[in-house]
Amino acid sequence: MAINVKLDDLLYARRMTLTELSEKVDITLANLSILKTGKARAVRFSTLEAICRALDCQPGDLLQFVEE
Amino acid sequence: MTSDTLHSNPDALGLSRRVLSGLRALNIVYGVGVGIMLIASLVAPDILFGAIGVRATGWETATLSMRGIMIVGIAGAFIAHRILTGLLSIVESVRVGDPFVIDNAAHLNAIAWWLLVAELLHLLVGALARLASTPEQPFDIGWSFSFTPWIAVLLLFVLARVFAYGARMREDIEGTV
Repeated sequence: MAINVKLDDLLYARRMTLTELSEKVDITLANLSILKTGKARAVRFSTLEAICRALDCQPGDLLQFVEE
Repeated sequence: MTSDTLHSNPDALGLSRRVLSGLRALNIVYGVGVGIMLIASLVAPDILFGAIGVRATGWETATLSMRGIMIVGIAGAFIAHRILTGLLSIVESVRVGDPFVIDNAAHLNAIAWWLLVAELLHLLVGALARLASTPEQPFDIGWSFSFTPWIAVLLLFVLARVFAYGARMREDIEGTV
């Protein structure tokens, strides 16, 4: 996929687990896992906002465009 | 229409499945029956055509046309089998609780094509019956032309497209986090 989700890197930098993030943003672990593994087809602004707030980051820190 | 009536009723689904399975079995019996008639028309034409009141004096137009109708009848049974099988697959997916999938759009599209072929065969049967009928030996199979099946074909093609679009939309929604 041309859009790379860097959730793993951000979680590592914040010393946070996916389960902890799931509890903070109120999004299921399954959905966060889909996002983390790059299997998501779309991301809601509300999801992006919640993750950015929980991880204290910008959307650009989470998503990266990669030329295929 | 309330939302309750839109929800799948297990009894109605079970009944639909049984009716479709029954119709499929009857259709197989019909196909085999017409096949036996076709074989009989070749092996023992006097007995068969005599029984249905046709004087079979050889390879004349009437008997040839009737054999043609039998062949179309067998093809029709095959088409009906494909349509009923497609419908059964759709009903089964509703029962499982996952009907809005691309496979069902493909089933609907296939049913539309089979129905179109069936209608073309219906026209062929009309032409053959007309050919078989003579003033001395009128041959009436109660054939008539109707626009309704053609509209049904059109409707099925449209529904298949709507279904495919809906299934793709559902896939997108399912992949949205």
